[in-house]
Amino acid sequence: MFKRIIYDDWTSIIPIISFWLTFGVFLAITVRALFLKKTTVSHMENLPLEEDDNSTTQAASK
Amino acid sequence: MNTKPTTTTIVYDDDSVRNFMIASIFWGLVGMGAGVLIAFQLNYWQLNGKFLEWITFGLLQSEGVEFLTFGRLRPLHTNAAIFAFVGNMMFAGIYYSTQRLCRVRMASKLLTNINFWGWQFIIVCAAISLPAGFSRGKEYAELIWPINIMIAVIWLVFGANFFWTLSKRNEKSLYVGLWFYIATIVTITMLYVVNHLSIPTCFTHSYPLLGGVQDALVQWWYGHNAVAFFLTTPMLGIMYYFVPKAANRPVYSYRLSIIHFWSLVFIYIWAGPHHLLNTALPEWLQSLGMIFSLMLWAPSWAGMLNGLLTLRGAWDRLLTDPVIKFFAAAVTFYGMCTFEGPLLSIKAVNALSHYTDWTVGHVHSGTLGWNGFLAAGMFYWLAPRLWKTKLHSTALANAHFWLGMVGILLYVASMWVAGITQGLMLNATIEGGTVLQYPNFLDTLQAIRPVMLFRAIGGGLYLLGFAMMAYNIWRTARSGTAVNGTVEVEVTDIETPSMISSFLSAPVMYALAIIFSICLTIFSGGALFIVGIFLTITCIIVAIAHFQFSKASWEAWYSKLLDHGFAFTVLTIVAAGIGGAIQIIPTVTMQRADNIEGRLQVPYTPLELAGRDIYVSEGCYNCHSQMIRTLVPDVMRYGESNGEQRGYSHLGESIYDFPHQWGSKRTGPDLAREGGLRSDDWHYFHMLDPRSVSPGSNMPNYTWLFKKPIKVSQLPRKIDVMRMLGVPYPIDLSEEDIQAQIDEQSAGIVARLAEKGAFTDPDREIIALIAYLQKIGTYEMVSAKDSSEAAE
Repeated sequence: MFKRIIYDDWTSIIPIISFWLTFGVFLAITVRALFLKKTTVSHMENLPLEEDDNSTTQAASK
Repeated sequence: MNTKPTTTTIVYDDDSVRNFMIASIFWGLVGMGAGVLIAFQLNYWQLNGKFLEWITFGLLQSEGVEFLTFGRLRPLHTNAAIFAFVGNMMFAGIYYSTQRLCRVRMASKLLTNINFWGWQFIIVCAAISLPAGFSRGKEYAELIWPINIMIAVIWLVFGANFFWTLSKRNEKSLYVGLWFYIATIVTITMLYVVNHLSIPTCFTHSYPLLGGVQDALVQWWYGHNAVAFFLTTPMLGIMYYFVPKAANRPVYSYRLSIIHFWSLVFIYIWAGPHHLLNTALPEWLQSLGMIFSLMLWAPSWAGMLNGLLTLRGAWDRLLTDPVIKFFAAAVTFYGMCTFEGPLLSIKAVNALSHYTDWTVGHVHSGTLGWNGFLAAGMFYWLAPRLWKTKLHSTALANAHFWLGMVGILLYVASMWVAGITQGLMLNATIEGGTVLQYPNFLDTLQAIRPVMLFRAIGGGLYLLGFAMMAYNIWRTARSGTAVNGTVEVEVTDIETPSMISSFLSAPVMYALAIIFSICLTIFSGGALFIVGIFLTITCIIVAIAHFQFSKASWEAWYSKLLDHGFAFTVLTIVAAGIGGAIQIIPTVTMQRADNIEGRLQVPYTPLELAGRDIYVSEGCYNCHSQMIRTLVPDVMRYGESNGEQRGYSHLGESIYDFPHQWGSKRTGPDLAREGGLRSDDWHYFHMLDPRSVSPGSNMPNYTWLFKKPIKVSQLPRKIDVMRMLGVPYPIDLSEEDIQAQIDEQSAGIVARLAEKGAFTDPDREIIALIAYLQKIGTYEMVSAKDSSEAAE
């Protein structure tokens, strides 16, 4: 069976499997993203901005 | 569980950010300078060395300088642009944003310094070795094996420092920008290692483990994904951090960024074969490459829209803030070139565009528009903060923007025109499609020369703008004081699942069980086949039941993995690795005998092998392909050999080519059937002065080939390695035999040359190169039975 899949029928089967695999990943991630909690989304999207609130600078040592 | 929060001051390591930024600007000038030079070389062949006579008023007499030819400088340009300019910019962006997103200083200053100085040393080695002619002959993978090892080591140092920093972070959640950095680190490691597997023959030379179609597939799996995971994913991470910072508002949609990340990482890796459309590559791989390239439209545009819409409410600043200008333009160019990429991957479009300047224009809209402008925006944003001062001149930055923009548009538009013109001319036929309308390749080159000049001017304008940025940032740095960012953070013991518990969770176990059951079904027969089906169905039902009856939620299961950097990294490797594995493993493991399509390449003689190495070393593949595509115009133009029409290139014709030389651009004609097409003396005079036999050619003079001796002493080792790779050289081929074969073959070439008034010593490199050129495309017809027996 392995030989048949790999060497003989590979060409016809793999593109179909690949497409459905990709579609499955895309669907799963989309569902996952849509059902994220609002609080989580709000926290995550503000991460780059948070450090401005209490950040400062000091002279570099060199 | 968070316990006893204490506050501490974190001082970020911004010295390294400054260092990488300065290095990026410096190497950017070098790489782009080399690009402008080679662009002009295509119009003025004298720039390959002859010009030295003019600028020294005859003091230096030279028909050509080997270190300055297009074939050697083009790899320098591409490697400098990718690894030196974008590489250093990427490190600057990653070091800056990772510390802040993790709210922790980089884990090791020592590793950071090794990363910085090691990377610069590698670039210097590349800048010396590539013009010196040391090349592996694979695009964007030209660097020789000792440098490959150094790159792998430094990359691992960078990765170790990055993941160590993640492990010490004071922020539990991993922001999406960090996801893109993780994908970059793990995927580039995988790509780089696989495509650089070689067997050394000496300190400066090696042969790749794979040849022919296998090498071509792996090369473009790497080549395409170098664009994806070196020039795109780190840039997207930088976009997701710096664009919100510049606009002072959160990313437009965090949900969209999740979809963007996973679909991009999953899909991108499959698209490599679109570089080999209409070639001898098996049809199913071409179809996969095309389909997945088309699918890339969705995640790419998701990212582009997410970036652009992050600027909502900040559009008024587009008029005044050069940072916003550069970011908006960069993201727009990302959208444009990710629209164009899938378009060019449609086989019918590719038939026109491939091997022409259209592809060159496409990659430059990505590197100049997307990477270059994103770098400029990031540098203009960083410089005042890293030196605690104001930008020296906003007007100068604006001037840079417009100069760069005009430069890119001139460049890309010129390449569109050049590519489409040349593609149409090369494919044009008359008399009912039976005769080529432009049989002389040089006619098509002459037609695009004016637009090629505009390209060079456009590139020059872009370089000028970039130089203005270098000056602006230098003045900014001088006017301020170097500072390191500090931040007060609450240090808590972040409870992250252990490496083992992340994997020993229910969802992972179920997923593994289901994958195992499916594999059992596919790869076995008889009773095991039935068992596999039964197990698959059972596992799915049990998993659903577990989910329903336990109080767990999918989110909790998923988040458990995401909170652990290592588990997330493994997930990313799986997502990025599947596509490559499915394409490469069957191609590499398949019996060579099944892959030759009835034609078996005749192995090179020692002299021809030496000539081939010269061909690779001089970078001839930068302008000449060796692949007659399965297209009628290609076959009509290049398919004839020794008066006989032999059709397109079959797989077996390049089975012993380590590395393959299928090429990606035709500034000159295809050479797949060059053997026997022209006389020895034609090649002799063509290499001495191409215009003497091909009026209007823009090829450099290769005068040094007539002076340098063939490196015969290296041949025994090279032949040994070839034999290890499966090329059927006799086992008992001694050094004396090799020398005798070389003497006999070179004497024949010298004699034929002498008859035509062309004289040279038999031990010169030109003799080996002529021997190779006369061999290209030589094969014997074999039946399937014979080829199977040969393979055994």
